[in-house]
Amino acid sequence: MIPALTRPPLVRSSDRVIAGVCAGLAAHLGWPVKSVRIGMAFATLVGGAGFAFYAWLWIMVPTADESARRNARRPASPIAPAVSLDPAFSAGPPPVPTSPGLPAAGPWWGNPDAGAFAPGFAPSGVSGGGPPAGYPAGYPAAVRSPWFRVRRTRYGKEMLLGAGLLLVAGIMIARLLGVDVPLGTLIPAAAVLSGAAIAWMQLDETRRAGLVDKTKADQAGGWARLAAGLALVVAGVLVMVSGSGSWEQTWLALLASVAVLGGVVLVLLPWALKFWRDLETERAGRIRETERAEIAAHLHDSVLQTLALIQRRAGNEHDVLRLARAQERELRSWLFQDPGKEAGQLSARIKAAAAEVEDSLGNAVEVVSVGDTAMTESHEALLQASREAMLNASRHGGGTVSVYLEVSDGRTEIFIKDRGPGFDLQDVPEDRLGVRESIIGRMKRHGGSASITSTPDGTEVRLGMPALQTDNAEGKS
Amino acid sequence: MNNVQGTAGIRPAQPVRVVIVDDHAIFRSGLKADLDQSILVVGEAATVEQAIAVIAQERPEVVLLDVHLPGGLGGGGREVIAGSVALLGTTKFLALSVSDAAEDVVSVIRAGARGYVTKTISGAEITDAVFRVAGGDAVFSPRLAGFVLDAFGTAPADIADDELDRLSARELEVMRLIARGYSYKEVAKELFISIKTVETHVSAVLRTPALQPARADQVGRRTPPPLAPKMRYHFWWL
Repeated sequence: MIPALTRPPLVRSSDRVIAGVCAGLAAHLGWPVKSVRIGMAFATLVGGAGFAFYAWLWIMVPTADESARRNARRPASPIAPAVSLDPAFSAGPPPVPTSPGLPAAGPWWGNPDAGAFAPGFAPSGVSGGGPPAGYPAGYPAAVRSPWFRVRRTRYGKEMLLGAGLLLVAGIMIARLLGVDVPLGTLIPAAAVLSGAAIAWMQLDETRRAGLVDKTKADQAGGWARLAAGLALVVAGVLVMVSGSGSWEQTWLALLASVAVLGGVVLVLLPWALKFWRDLETERAGRIRETERAEIAAHLHDSVLQTLALIQRRAGNEHDVLRLARAQERELRSWLFQDPGKEAGQLSARIKAAAAEVEDSLGNAVEVVSVGDTAMTESHEALLQASREAMLNASRHGGGTVSVYLEVSDGRTEIFIKDRGPGFDLQDVPEDRLGVRESIIGRMKRHGGSASITSTPDGTEVRLGMPALQTDNAEGKS
Repeated sequence: MNNVQGTAGIRPAQPVRVVIVDDHAIFRSGLKADLDQSILVVGEAATVEQAIAVIAQERPEVVLLDVHLPGGLGGGGREVIAGSVALLGTTKFLALSVSDAAEDVVSVIRAGARGYVTKTISGAEITDAVFRVAGGDAVFSPRLAGFVLDAFGTAPADIADDELDRLSARELEVMRLIARGYSYKEVAKELFISIKTVETHVSAVLRTPALQPARADQVGRRTPPPLAPKMRYHFWWL
């Protein structure tokens, strides 16, 4: 027995011919897809066992998306741990022993499984033998278990299928026992039902997006399915109706129905279109309204408050300037922030440091960044060093400080420039640690470089951090 | 507050005729008061239509153009330049914006503006920028240089066939220094070249195909660059 941990979870694959069952099964078992598909087809020929098995898996096995969502909601699936359980969770304490196999592990599904689906694995088995009395016997166990109530509501689909299978089995047993079952009406009815099912399958969770989104590639497949479903339903209805009359009558009736349907569509279509359009407009309006409310709330919280503060401090030029700068910065970051951009990247951290310096010393710090990278330990040192340099530049330069950050091929460079009177590094007393320790020493310790150019026109601090092997620098966008 | 690009350009004997296009009357009057005596404001406009009309009538040397403007088809400053495309040879456009979005700046530069400065710039700086643009040079703020570097990448063009879309090593060096806050004079000193050469490099960057305005027959049909819905919604008051 292969440990469950080595198997990918059983989910319906997106690589689908019908519902992705075979591909998912193959991925789960580690078998070639083709052989699984052929096996399934072969089993279908043997008394329809493959068909039943396929239908079972189709309904029971979630798609990858559904599985992820389900796992996010609760840690383990009580019914079929191997089905929807993430491998990472298998090591945890699921309520039932984890089994690598197919739906064979559940405490009460185990029996019906064996009865109804063993033929799928062993074609020699008698199909339609019907589930033995495992259902009623297992049921009390489910009642005792703590997850019973959750399952009651969530697994209605499984219950329905079980009931359907029981019905089929019952009919087969009845026929074996010689009871006359009106197959003539049942088969068309089944055709109608399955046709409806195929058509409605469109609204399966994963399909809905595709149906709405016109650009989806599988749109054609969706329409084909809809057509197939319709054809099945119509055929079923036809057979049912024609059972009681002649073909001429049936055709006539069909023609009449189509005419009536066409008339109804003709009358109702404008209404439906108008309704649909109204719905769309209303939705767009609601979205706009929400957006407006959000913007209004933001303006109230930030801009209006700042304006009030500015009015109260109108006499103090320094305060007004600082407030205006801070508000501008805040508004800019709100307006122009890139939602796709990860927070905590180097450029965001540098900008935050610049904002802090700007706030504490009052001089503008302009940051221009090209490229970005994730933070590492050495980048943290780089950030601290550049913060120190910005503080120095703002304190001694006394004007706008220009900061330029460039990340390319993992190498990071930061330039901090001010236009103060400049200084000579030689003249800085030994005990002043600001430049020597916090900037140059720190960069050297972390494998970077730092140089300071100072002229009477201004000072520029250049910091460089070479690319590390382990760096996952994104480089240029 | 010294963000100025180089020394003031050579002041022309006659005053430079300027049109200010901005939808905020307060900003227009403030800018007018800030500008040097040698700059003559011959017209003002608040919308795209007004701007195109005033520019066609006054034929100024420089248009100080806000990137975001009401009216027209919603294209703002870009649309004004497109509407004045016949005058591009004689009238220079200097874009003014509070916007930080690269797409705004690059789109107006692509439309044909000769420079871009932020509205927080001081009166002396904007005067210098006007002289510079009037003299045929480009005006690059550190931020614009950053956008250009971001758009082109920081690796120089070395293979012949993609040379067209990339900057030469020298142009990159100039852009990088400008992004670092260097003035044209400082760039010239750093690279041991003349200020004129720096200006040539900067102008060459604007002539790069990727930053070129669309051909005249395409101008009308260009669709505005996609803006995030929030931003589009927001720009009525900017």
